[in-house]
Amino acid sequence: MSMTRRSFLQRTALSGLTIGAAITGTKRAAQAADMSEPLTTVIDLNKCNGCPDLDTPRCVAACRNKNNERFPQPIKPIQDYWPQTKHEDWSEKQNLTNRLTPYNWTYVQHITVEHNGKKQNLHIPRRCMHCNSATCADLCPFGVIDQTAKGPVVINTGACFGGAKCRDVCPWHIPQRQAGVGIYLDIAPTYAGGGVMYKCDLCADLLEKGQEPACVSACPTGALMIGPRRKMEAYADKWRADNNGYIYGRDENGGTSTFYLSKVPFGKINEALLNQEIDEKPGRPAMPPGIDNPLHSTDGAVKSMLVAPFAGLAAAGISAYKIMTKGEKENENSEA
Amino acid sequence: MKILRHNQIIRFIHWSTALSIFILLFSGFGQMPIYKRYFVDTLPGLSWSSNYWVTLNIHYYAAVVLIFSSIYYVTYMIMSKNREILPQKGDFKESLQIFASLVGLAEEPPSGKYLAEQRLAFSLTAFTTLVLILTGLIKVYKNIPGVNLSAEVVFWTAQIHNLFTVIMLLNIIAHLGAFLLRPNWPLVPSMFSGYINADYIKHRHQKWWQELTGNLYFADIDESPEGVVGSDLDTDTLAGENAAPEAAAANENEYPGNQQLDLGDENSIN
Repeated sequence: MSMTRRSFLQRTALSGLTIGAAITGTKRAAQAADMSEPLTTVIDLNKCNGCPDLDTPRCVAACRNKNNERFPQPIKPIQDYWPQTKHEDWSEKQNLTNRLTPYNWTYVQHITVEHNGKKQNLHIPRRCMHCNSATCADLCPFGVIDQTAKGPVVINTGACFGGAKCRDVCPWHIPQRQAGVGIYLDIAPTYAGGGVMYKCDLCADLLEKGQEPACVSACPTGALMIGPRRKMEAYADKWRADNNGYIYGRDENGGTSTFYLSKVPFGKINEALLNQEIDEKPGRPAMPPGIDNPLHSTDGAVKSMLVAPFAGLAAAGISAYKIMTKGEKENENSEA
Repeated sequence: MKILRHNQIIRFIHWSTALSIFILLFSGFGQMPIYKRYFVDTLPGLSWSSNYWVTLNIHYYAAVVLIFSSIYYVTYMIMSKNREILPQKGDFKESLQIFASLVGLAEEPPSGKYLAEQRLAFSLTAFTTLVLILTGLIKVYKNIPGVNLSAEVVFWTAQIHNLFTVIMLLNIIAHLGAFLLRPNWPLVPSMFSGYINADYIKHRHQKWWQELTGNLYFADIDESPEGVVGSDLDTDTLAGENAAPEAAAANENEYPGNQQLDLGDENSIN
């Protein structure tokens, strides 16, 4: 048992080091040390083939396998979100691998795009982008989404109330909800809360051990890579310059820890996704290019908040001065 | 005869605080995913209520107003030495006595400008506001792109902010609920016009009345009518030209001995 585990760890570590070395040309020891910095993943769409010979792409299977024990186990029957007459239950569809669900935290999109007069198939692994300024984490009303030092954005599923605000404020609507599970059941399940939100955590536990996420380890084509942010930025920039290509996720939503590399512009990819992939239900994200982080919209209010105390002091000073001049008159009176 | 109870500044601060807190509560509850679930956003004119970015910006700007008026108030209170609203020793016991008197179980104790229960309610609301502003500022800071606080800080800040929001809501319900009680009715117009009936003060705020009349007695208002015929900025002064004799008479009749009084003049700034 211990032998198996050790050999697994060695292999995982080795694959990480090999890829790291391939990307950066650094030595293994240096790469291992770098895993303590904020990390960024690169997803090279030119390399991903969607694992055509498999029912389930390897990254998806590895993710499901690794996280299987953390998937929700709802208590049934599940109540509706009163006064609404619905609730989100994916427990009967745990085998779905063609969208994001509470039981499937990554999946591969397949689209056909035409670029430079050439039709081509693209396969796009999708999961949480792990934003640098994650709107989901900032705006969670219960403060239970953490952005860890290494970059992963992690939902504390034990304290999540399942209001799904994180999904609403995520530009890609990534987190998915399962009802009938979580802390809301202990409080007022009929009136408040809706379950627990689930999404990719970039295998934060493995990263802590200096290992790669399960999907990265499992990828047979090297389309998924992970490394220190600055090095991955340099890698992506060099690739873009060399290939006249495009990067997605570097600037979107104020910057993320996931860079997609493509020779097809992401505007076209987004259009193809909207036409060929997206349906009415959550869990199939598009790729709108250049989206701004909406938290920037609060800049003016934040500045006003800094000014407010001084304005208060000034107002009090003026009021006090007015009364003081009056008060002096009164004092004179009382002395009379 | 009417007495100025709340000057223009206090009324402005009260209402800007009240308005900002009302907006903060509405937009703050909008940060919980409830307006869509409970169809609030289907009500006419409220379609924006389930848009988190709209309610977040409203929440922020209302917070600007609350911070402004809070700092304004605290600074003004310090500078004007207007401290009748601060709690005093024995307020808790006295409050119980006042509640008992409302149901006829006790005599209402003589009060200063504010009842003991009002002083306690004020300190609770002020503390609640302080906690909400401080935790709110931490939350705002955390939301600035590029700022990342530890999971524990984020979690506990959110819990405390939410808990004190509930406490604030209860404070407000109690504050408004107090006006369901008939003895408190005369207080309501004073937060609009500033003035309150002298009879009410004589009856319920005897200590304050004593201070007012004592003040007037020593101030010899006959010689300085403009000092007492309340321009709006003045507080604790009588309005009406007949004030002096009546006040002096009341003083003599009801408070023989004319104790040495702490005048607590809100208007004097030293």
